Order: sequence, then C-alpha cells, then structure tokens
Amino acid sequence: MTAADSEFAAVLTGVFHRYPGEVRDSISAIDLTLRSGERVALIGPSGAGKSTLLSLLDGRLRGFRGGAIVLSNALDARRAPPRNERAKVGFIFQEFALVERASVRENVRNGRLGRVTQMAALFNRFSEADHSAVDRAMADAGILEFSEKRADCLSGGQRQRVAIARCLAQEPQLMLADEPISNLDPLRAEKILQLLGQTVGRRNSTLMFSSHQPVLAMRYADRVIALNNGSIAYDGSPEKLDRVLLAEIYANDKGSDCPSLRLVG
Amino acid sequence: MKPTDPDESRRASWRAVWPSLVIGAAILWAGIGSDIELSRVANAGGRIAEFLSRMFPPDLSIAREAVDATLETLRIAILGTIGCILASAALGFLAAESMTPRAINAPVKAMLALMRAIPLILVAMLMVGAVGLGPLPGILAIAFHATGMLGKFYADAIEGVDRAPVAALESAGATLLQRLRYAVWPQMAPDLLRDTVFRFELNLRESLILGVVGAGGVGFYIQTYVRSFQYDKAATLTIIVVLIVLLIELANTWLRRLSR
Repeated sequence: MTAADSEFAAVLTGVFHRYPGEVRDSISAIDLTLRSGERVALIGPSGAGKSTLLSLLDGRLRGFRGGAIVLSNALDARRAPPRNERAKVGFIFQEFALVERASVRENVRNGRLGRVTQMAALFNRFSEADHSAVDRAMADAGILEFSEKRADCLSGGQRQRVAIARCLAQEPQLMLADEPISNLDPLRAEKILQLLGQTVGRRNSTLMFSSHQPVLAMRYADRVIALNNGSIAYDGSPEKLDRVLLAEIYANDKGSDCPSLRLVG
Repeated sequence: MKPTDPDESRRASWRAVWPSLVIGAAILWAGIGSDIELSRVANAGGRIAEFLSRMFPPDLSIAREAVDATLETLRIAILGTIGCILASAALGFLAAESMTPRAINAPVKAMLALMRAIPLILVAMLMVGAVGLGPLPGILAIAFHATGMLGKFYADAIEGVDRAPVAALESAGATLLQRLRYAVWPQMAPDLLRDTVFRFELNLRESLILGVVGAGGVGFYIQTYVRSFQYDKAATLTIIVVLIVLLIELANTWLRRLSR
C-alpha cells in the first residue's frame, strides 16, 4: 500500500449492477471516490440504489461489473472479501440485525469477531484490548447502563444504538450506515447523526450514510451524493445543493415516501 | 357473502352440515358396534376395593429390586434420549427448509412424520426381535420413536433462525464457525434445550412400558406382579416409579428455568 492509496477509502469506476429478473440496473455507471475522513450523506428517492451502493462498498454485493476498490482491496464480484478486509469495513444495518437472545454486551462484542483468532473466540476468550474496545464503543453510544440487558428487551432507539456500538467496537476504517435515522423522531435522529459524526472524527475513519431526510442529513455531512435511478445526480458540498435541485432529484420518486414533506424538515 | 342462487345456498348449507354428520356417524358406529355392557362398571366397585385393599400394605421387601428396575428404565430413557438427539441433529438439519433443497427436506420431513406415527410398543417389539431381550432394544426403540418428534422440533428451531444477524457478523469479518457460535447458536439454544428436556420426560414415561415386551426396565416387573395377583409388590413398584418420575420432573423444571 502506498501513501497515495491510503488517501482514499473507496474508488469506484464504471460500476453497474442489476438484480436477477429486473429490467433496470440497480446502479449504473457509478464513478466515485471517497477520501479518507469524509462524512458523506447518500440521498435519493426509494429505489434509487442507495442500499445497493452501500452493500457494494461493504463487499456483500455479488455480480456487479466495473472496478471497485475499498480500502485498497479490489472487490471480487463473485465472492466476499477476505476476513481481514471485511473487518475493516463496518456496517450499520437498517433493521439493526442484532442477536435477539444475546445481551447488549455480547452483541457489541460480536463486532470484534473479525479481529480475534477463530479458536479464542469459539471458547469465549477475548483479549483485554477486545474488552476495552467493547466498553469504549458502549460508552460512546451511551448504552453502558443497560449493557447486561437482552437485546429483545430494548426499545427501537436503544437497539439502534446497540447496532451502532457493534459497528464502533469493530473499529472500522470505513463505516457504512443504511438509513440510520429512519423511524426516529427528529431530536433522536440529530443525536444519532451527531454521534456518528463525532465518533468517526475521533477515530479518524470515513463515514457514508444513506437517508430519506436530506435536509437533516446534509447538516451532518461534508459531502452529499444524490442517487436517482441508479446514477449519481449530484456529488458535492451540502451548501451547493439547493432546494430546486433537490426537488428535481425527488421529483420522479415513485416510492411510497412523501418527499415534499421531508424537504421542510 | 350472500348466495343468491337457491342451488348454491343449498350446497352451502350442506357443506356446513356434513362435518357434523360424519362425526355423529363415527360416534354411533363406535357405540353400537362394540360389545359394551355398562352394567359391568356398576359392579366393579367391589372388585376395585378388593384389589386396592390387597395393595396395602405395600410389600417393601422388593424395594431394592424396584429401585434397580426403575433406574434401568431411567438409563434406557437417558441413553435413548442421547440417541434421538444425535439422530435429530442430523435429520433436523436435513429437514430444515432453510438448509436443504426441497428435494431433500420434504422426504426427510415425511420420514420423520412416519417415524413418530409408528407406536413405540410396536418399534420395541421389532427391536426385541432384531437384537434380543434386555435394555438395548428399549434404547433403540426410544431413540427411533423420539427422533420422529425431536427431529421435527430441531428442524423448526433451525428454520426459526433469523439470517440478518448472521449476515451482519459475516460483514464484520466473522468466520463460518464464529457465525454459528455467536449468531446461530444463541438463537436456537433455548428452543433446543426446552424441546430436548420435554422429549426426555416423554421418553421416561414411555419407557416404563417397554418391559412388557421384554425391552428392559421396570415394566417387566409391573406386568409380572399384576398378572400373578401380587398387588402389594406392584404397589411398591408404583410408588417408587412415581417418586423417581416426580424427582426427574422437578429437575427438568429447574433446568428449563435456566434457559429462556
């Protein structure tokens, strides 16, 4: 790895993808460079390709065409990246994807699995470094007080913070979040975005999150990428993205959302 | 929905009536066809009192024998349960729709249904024929019969596993074994434990009768003493069996409380 490589968290060149049985590309002709340390908001109407793009960067998308380099590892369209590469990219799932019958602490500790040896983990042997990373992640996410509760006893907002803490415990260089503030009231949504922004800054990693609330999302990002019909419709600073352009991007939204209301937020 | 056509309305009322007719006919058939004299129940009171009185006092001289025989039944239930756990783990995996293609899971599911449909006593008789008298045919029979149910339960537990956290752990860099250990196992373990303990209780009760066909355990003694009218000895056996079964159930309740 050269010094130039580490400047970039991800480099995508001419990426196309289409889900089996679909007539339209889910993402098409994506050229995109993420610089290390950036906080990027990914906006666009439903079905614009936000989740597809995020799962591509996470190395979970199979069957894409084009070049995709994430943290200097070239992704293979046919198989998942090697374990150590997967550990470097953290993902916060929209539905949280927690182990319901496990405690909060166990769920957060699962974020460390990519960094411990297989045998040690199978026998529940985690190092001091692992334990302190878990504690730090829980403290950052503000969930220490209920760390021994089971995940299925928590409220939606608490579960969200557990999902974030699991990602923080992983100490990823690139953090991806799929709709981290959907289903949250505006106050909580701001808190979560603040938390993500701060921790990413503190840990010197890169953040990309998708959102259906562009105005709110733009406040916590230093770069906005708008997707429309699988292509990039805008890529630049949040300041330059005016409401006219935003309305245009959402104009042909055929999804169930109501963008005109969200623009006010 | 209102049927306008009179023919249609007649058909609808027929559809509503025929299940009751079938059930009624079945009850009539069972009652008329059997040779049942209810008067015999009325006269039974004296006889019941007589053999109850013959049970007292229980003959404690066979207490030692009774405990040994009951413990043999317990051993049969334990080893039979181990056998059905092993078989159920393999067959339950194959029967789970989330693990195997339909060409495999459908026939395996059908086989499990067939296994639990064959009565235990029949399986035990066949096993005695195959491997001879003693506890071994009892263990094999229990293992076979119980797998029909436990294998189905295990398949249900496997099918109930939520894939999202498994995918999340893979994305975080967890290996296949780690995913099984930290995402799949915690989701299944409480169900597996509950189902297995439940099946063990059933195995213990069902294995009490195995001795009747020579497949080991306390059943043989109960049968012998009842047939030779030694009700005082049969009473001792009954008391010891009930005590041991109750003890095991207490232990199971405690075990189940550990897992949720």
